[in-house]
This record gives sequence, structure tokens and C-alpha cells, in this order.
Amino acid sequence: MHSLPDHTFSLATSTDSAGDVSISITGDLDYDTSDELLATAERQLERRPAPRHLRLDCARLAGCDSAGLSILLMIRRRADVTGTRLHLDNRPAALERVLGITGTLAHFTDAPAPDQPAPEQPAPGQP
Amino acid sequence: MTISQNAALQGQASPPSLGPAWLDAPCPVLVADRSGVVRGLNARAAALFPRARSGAGLEGAVPGWLTDAHPRDGGGGAQAVRGTHGGRTLSAHPTPGQDGDVVWWLLDDTERAGAEAALREERRRTAFLSNASTALLASLNVDRCLEVAARMAASHLADAAVVVAAPTGRRGHAVTHGLPSGEVTSTVVDLSPADVPGLDEALRGFPPVPSRWIDPSALPAWAVPDGLPGPVGSVVVTPLPGHGVPAGALILLRRTDHAAFDEGEEILARLFAARAGAAVSAARLYAEQAGITATLMRELLPPRLRRVNGVEFAGGYRPSRVTERVGGDFYDVHPGAGDEQESLAVLGDVCGKGLDAAVLTGKIRSTLHALLPLAADHGQVLKLLNGALLTSHHARFATLVLASVARAGSRVRLRLTSAGHPAPLIVRDAGPVEAAETGGTLVGALPEVGATTATVELAPGETCLLYTDGISEARGGPLGNTEFGEERLRAALAGCAGMPAEAVVERVQMLASEWVGDGRHDDMALLAITAPGAPASAAISGRAPGRRTA
Repeated sequence: MHSLPDHTFSLATSTDSAGDVSISITGDLDYDTSDELLATAERQLERRPAPRHLRLDCARLAGCDSAGLSILLMIRRRADVTGTRLHLDNRPAALERVLGITGTLAHFTDAPAPDQPAPEQPAPGQP
Repeated sequence: MTISQNAALQGQASPPSLGPAWLDAPCPVLVADRSGVVRGLNARAAALFPRARSGAGLEGAVPGWLTDAHPRDGGGGAQAVRGTHGGRTLSAHPTPGQDGDVVWWLLDDTERAGAEAALREERRRTAFLSNASTALLASLNVDRCLEVAARMAASHLADAAVVVAAPTGRRGHAVTHGLPSGEVTSTVVDLSPADVPGLDEALRGFPPVPSRWIDPSALPAWAVPDGLPGPVGSVVVTPLPGHGVPAGALILLRRTDHAAFDEGEEILARLFAARAGAAVSAARLYAEQAGITATLMRELLPPRLRRVNGVEFAGGYRPSRVTERVGGDFYDVHPGAGDEQESLAVLGDVCGKGLDAAVLTGKIRSTLHALLPLAADHGQVLKLLNGALLTSHHARFATLVLASVARAGSRVRLRLTSAGHPAPLIVRDAGPVEAAETGGTLVGALPEVGATTATVELAPGETCLLYTDGISEARGGPLGNTEFGEERLRAALAGCAGMPAEAVVERVQMLASEWVGDGRHDDMALLAITAPGAPASAAISGRAPGRRTA
């Protein structure tokens, strides 16, 4: 488990020598903060050449509500357009649960289309 | 002579010997004795008062206000006075001379007096405009704003004021008459703006035409309030600028026996109109929004649920804020045609808040209603719904549960499909609370969706509860920021077998509300589907249904 969640939202962007971008998210991704993440991600995706990989480091992500998930889906759509591969790294349990319930985990991890979600999706709350 | 010498003279205790220096003073100087006889005057004074002569009396030679101020025998000391003479404003400052003479130093104060008057006027205008803003912004009611504007304009700017509101789509313009007495009357007039010179332009937001261009005798009857005594002598027509579009126009009227509007008054009228226009416009925007909200509320508020085809349904909805009664959670029950036909219940949650969420909710509910004939195949319904919601410019999505419900003898058979939504919980008469084994993708954001459907049977007294994450993620508790959580929800439901649907909903709502306390919370929606009848355990143990109601 990671340390106590930090609810102050902040973003840190870094670019490696290969041009791959990593955005580290700290705090709650919600209705009030998610637009900032979208704007930051869009700025990175607008670079030419577009980055081959965009990594969202979620290690310090405290929580993600439906508005936050909507923005993650939007970033994924934008990344598809530029041919950038989106990664959600170091997913905390809360994010994993949201992705699980909404059936979007496979979409983000590039697994086959979620046409058989039942086996890898235990009913919420069950161990 | 300089000011400091003047001050030194005034400060001397004994009458000074003036000498000839005062004759060259840069201002008019006049010396008179205690009987009011002029003893001397310099050239500037002679030019100012041509009839004043040395040795003659002050009366008739200088203005009365100066004569009156001149101290006579036993009349006490002289005071500085101010008055007009020949179109100028003069101030006269006395200093003592020899043998009780008084030396009057006269200064031209015309410009200062003018500046003081202008300052007073400016202060009055500022105070008026400030009061106008306060009065106009006190109400967000359009009619009230128009009344305040007409009343204030009539009492401070003119003999009568007419506010013509911009048309709002219905025939005619709202016309508000104001009189200085405070009397205001409002009518709707099917008027032609071309009848008043400058009105058409003002209603379109163009700058006002000068008042002198408008012929008062050409005014139509609706533009002249009934209570105005005497004919109209001058007219000002000025626009009421709004936010983007003009809010209307202000017509100011003055009687023939009063002075016509001058340029300063026209400017003041324009400044007032700017404030009145902003207030009317804000009130109109508010009224429009309130209207939209009221319309949406009528359409989007969850329906009241009841028993349908032998199955109990109960719903509960608590929006996130009391002021925003339309939120992102929704539920519906579409009754089947007969007892054997499935009814379709749906409960969902759209992402986002406020109007955006409300619009998406409306879209989903209408689309699902239209897809009812296909309800036998939940996967197909979700696929079509997803296609209807997908747009390129946002990824706002919804999660929902479809529940097809029909009686099967004394039991109730459900087909449950979750589209990215927390799975429904099944409250069994015996054994733990179960989650229905259904899962799938949310709708409205991904090109492809998929879901699995679970089939569940409820024995009499058993309940299937559909809920939104506003319940499970409600934060509160003893520490204030703990999630209510699914475990607590299951524990709360464990005691609910045998309770009617409505009681289950009320119990969960009550527990969640207690958990949240006064804290902020998301929308909370619940839909309980219950098979009526006493649970089997009650028949064995003799317990009556509902006995465990907390």
C-alpha cells in the first residue's frame, strides 16, 4: 500500500530522452480537477512528433470519480488519434475498482475487447 | 502684494498705516469708514464698481450684500462675505484700517464657485447612480426591475419616465410609466418603435440621438404617462444596454415649463440607463434559467413507483444539493403489458453534474423508452443506447443497471444487466446478501460495449436493490471522511428480508443520511424490487413481515 493519500491535486510532467511523456498525478481526480489533467495531456499529445508512450503515473492518485474516469477515457481517445500508447501505471486499489466496475480496465490495458467481462470481473466488494 | 503680506496685515493687532502700497494691490481694494462712506479705492476697485466715489456712500455703488456686510457704528466686527456682481462671484475679505475704517479686499471667486457647484452636482449624480445600482440589483424579477428603473428615472432625471422593454417573443412591448410621485404603471403595448424618433435605434442598441432632434409633439399617446401635468417640452431616448442584446430603451420627458435636457443630463441619463439595462438583463437571464430548470425538473424528476404486475417497486432519490434538484442519478420503471410480461426497471448514474448531467439523463431515459420493444435482449439495448450517446466532443458516460422483472408463480424472476454499474444486491430470506453476477462496460464513451446478464429469482419477501455509488461512496461516519462502503450497505440490508420495498429504501436512505450527516454527498438513488408475500422463514417461525423494521 502506498502512504496516506494526498488530497491536494497536482500534476508533474516529465519527458525522457526517447520523447516519451510521463505525467504523475497527485490527489483526487474529480469534477474540479480533471479538466486540468486533460489540458496537460492534450498539450503533450500536440507535440510533434507525438510521443509514442504517454504514461499516467497513478501511484499518488487518491481517488477517481466518474468525471475523472471520463477524462481518462477522453485522453485515451486523443492518444488513439496521435498513435500514442496510453499507460495507467501504478494503479491504486481505488482506481482499479472503478475501472473494474465500469468495465473499462481492459480498454485501458489494451487487453482484448471486454466481451467476456464476467470471469476477470468479480462482483464488486467480493474478495 | 502677496498672500503672505495680506496675512501679516490681517494678523496685526493695531490698525496699520496702510501707505500707498494697497493702491497697487493685484485685486480690487476699497476702504470705507464706520458710517459707510467710501474713503478710498484702487484702480481695480474703480473698474469693478464704476459708481463708487471717494467721499460718497456705499449704497448704490457696491452690491447690496457688501453694503450689508459693512459694519456700522456699534455693528461689531466685519466678516468675509461672498456674492455676485456683474455675472461674477466675488468674495470680500475685511481687514481693519485706521480710525475704525474697514479695508475690503475683493477676490474673484467665479471659477472656484463654479468648480464647487460642479463638484456638488457630481457628488449628487454619483450618489444617485450608486443608489440606483443598489435599488436595481435588489431584485432578480424583470417586472420589478423595470418598475424601479421607471420610478428612479422619473424622480431624479425628468418629469416622467417611460421604460420600453425589449420584445421577448410575445406580441408587444412591456411599457412601464413612472412619475415623480413614485406612481408606476405597466402595460403591454403593441407599438411600432418607429413612432418615436430614436426609439428603434435605442431598442437595437445604437447610441442615443441628441435630445434636440426629437419633436415632443410627435410622441404617440402610449409614450406620455396620463399623470403628466402639462405638455411635453423635451424628450431624451436612450438605450438600456443588456448583456449582448439590448434590454430595452428609456424615454425621459420634461414639461414645456421646465428647462430642456442639457448635455450633462443626457450623459447622466445614459449612465443610469447602463445600470438599469444591466439589471434588467441580469433579471431576464435569471428568469430564463429558472424557467429552464423548472422545465427540466418536471421532466427529469424520478417517478413515483408502485406495485406493478404483482411486483413491488420502490424508489428513493436524494440529490447532491438541495438547490439543484436535477442531478445525474435516475431511475424508471416501464410496466409490462400484463402479469406475464416483463417490466423493465432501470437505474443509472451519468457522469458530471448540473445541466450537462440532466440533459444526458433525459437523453438516456428517452432512448431506453424507445428501445423497450427490444428489452428481451439487454445486450442489444445497451449496444443501441451506446451508439445513440456516443459523441466525439466529450466522453461523458453513464453507468446503469437494466432489470427485466416478471412474476413466476409466487416468485419473481429477474434478468439483471450491469453496464459499468455496481452490481445489484440480492437480499435473501436466508443466507448473506448477494451481489448479482453481472458486469459490463459503461455506455456513451467506448465504441464497443459488452455485458453479461444474470438471472435471479426472488422468493416472497426477498428484495433486489439497485443503487448508485452515491450510497456506497457516501463519506461521513464517526471520523467524517470514511466511505459508507458496500460492506456496511450489505450489513444494513441483511436485516431487511421480509420488509416491503418501500421500507428497504427508507431504511438504506436513513442509514446513508445518518452516515453523511451535514457533509457533502453525491446524488443518491435507490430502487428496490421486492417479491410480495411473507418470507418462508416467517411461516416457520411465526414472524410477521416487517417485524425487524428499525
